[in-house]
Amino acid sequence: MGHDVFEITINSVKMLVIFLLMVQLVPVLVWVERRGSAFIQSRLGPNRVGPLGLTQLLADAVKFLQKEEFLPEHGYGLIFYAAPILALIPAALAFASIPLSAPIHINQFLWNGHSFGPYDFEFQSFHFGVGIVYVLGVSSLGAYSLLMAGWGSSNKYSLMGALRASAQTISYELALGLSLVGAIMVFGTFDFSEMIHFQSQPLTSLLGVHFNIPALNWGIFYQPLGAILYFAATFAETNRLPFDLPEAEGELVAGYHTEYGGLKMLMFYIGEYGHMMVGSALMVTFYFGGYLIPGMTVEQVHNLLGTWLHIGANPLAIVTALVLHVVFFIKVLFFLWVFVWVRWTLPRFRYDQLMDLGWKTMLPWALANVIITAGWMLFKGMH
Amino acid sequence: MDLSTLLFLVLSFLIVVFSAAVVILPNPIYAALSLAVTMISLGFMYFLLQAYFIAGVQLIVYAGAVMVLFVMVLMLFDLRKEIAAFSGGKFAGLLKILCGLFFSGALVLAIRQGVIALNVSPGEPTPAEQIEMVKSLAMRLFTQYVLAFEALGILLLVVAVGVVAVARSRGGTHASHN
Repeated sequence: MGHDVFEITINSVKMLVIFLLMVQLVPVLVWVERRGSAFIQSRLGPNRVGPLGLTQLLADAVKFLQKEEFLPEHGYGLIFYAAPILALIPAALAFASIPLSAPIHINQFLWNGHSFGPYDFEFQSFHFGVGIVYVLGVSSLGAYSLLMAGWGSSNKYSLMGALRASAQTISYELALGLSLVGAIMVFGTFDFSEMIHFQSQPLTSLLGVHFNIPALNWGIFYQPLGAILYFAATFAETNRLPFDLPEAEGELVAGYHTEYGGLKMLMFYIGEYGHMMVGSALMVTFYFGGYLIPGMTVEQVHNLLGTWLHIGANPLAIVTALVLHVVFFIKVLFFLWVFVWVRWTLPRFRYDQLMDLGWKTMLPWALANVIITAGWMLFKGMH
Repeated sequence: MDLSTLLFLVLSFLIVVFSAAVVILPNPIYAALSLAVTMISLGFMYFLLQAYFIAGVQLIVYAGAVMVLFVMVLMLFDLRKEIAAFSGGKFAGLLKILCGLFFSGALVLAIRQGVIALNVSPGEPTPAEQIEMVKSLAMRLFTQYVLAFEALGILLLVVAVGVVAVARSRGGTHASHN
């Protein structure tokens, strides 16, 4: 946590702020989803409450809070109430370990008569060396909340939705993990910060082939197939169209959350959007240079801002981190928009098509990607 | 008492309580969910013991895939017979307690006879050191222990094939009851 009061306080506040950042992005995403769907379908969408309909979400939140609390007659109380809370935890834990911006180095400073030593703050709640293994491990726990919701509500539709959800999550987890393995081998690390550092160098040689045009050193150029497979598998992991069979309104009423209402249903929503954010953040970190401005390293951004702003070293470090944080979020928001875009463009798969795609198409392609990457790296003698 | 001691106590309390619940609870679903909580707590225990990679793998494989499958399969069955079979009887209860006592005695004996080789390095390893630990694990796994590793893989494949063969020839799990 830290060595003195100042560091411990900042780290604790940071954890809370990053969690709230994730939760507070959800209403904005709901607004984007509703207005975006209206835009795609040539409608207007909610535009009456407040500017651009933005305060509609506040009204929705008030409605959610006031809804009646109830338990289905033959439901299992403990499991029924625990499920929505568990929906929130995996995404929050996974999001907490993704670096949202460059680390902030604070030099020694005097405050209130005390000297505070040099600090290094990372723009993430905690930093594990095994980053991606931890994220995959924690987000794989999301299946429990769906299963518990389905079984605890004691409703046929809910149970069918839950069974579909867990079968789908387990199947696509394999393809998702394997599609990332190629990128992990190219970067030679599990650590997100090192991956982003790797992507900050200019691209003058691609997998052992040298050329003289400096370009972006993003993971997508090394692993285009891996990126596509990963992004497709993310849709299945987040249970969104075209893979939204667990909810499938036309077949299962609302799937696993049929019996839920009010704030409990909102928790499932936050969980789903949280998984989307984790998926987009991983996509950006692995394949699109993380928080880096295209074509610039963190030091170059730092020096450029220094020549523009003429402020002390500590404020400059903070401003640099904030600028890179905004860059990171622009990239993440783009992929979140792609999630919305796809949802309102593609129709739903049939269940056997879903399983065929997962096991017979994506898994072999991901395996082939790993083998080809490994063979090429062995051939070129990298690492 | 520092934070890691506190976390160790909380996690070991969770592991003990929920693994006892796996055996004691009559409803298979609750037992399976308790086993899942035990697996997750074990995963976080590995984090505490600074075996980060093992912790992640424990979460992915056991908590995230194996136990989810268990719970899912249990939810598909009509469990009234099983609940009745597991909840009744003073004799069964006595047997459970005796088994529990026997195994805890065996465990205590093993711990007291054996040498405890748990040596946690002082201080939190930095992320770079954690990656080095993963690399050394991988080197050992793919050089020194590669034969045992591959043999285990073949063994698991044989088990999977055997299970499919058995299930097919008898016509499924509950077929003989009909």
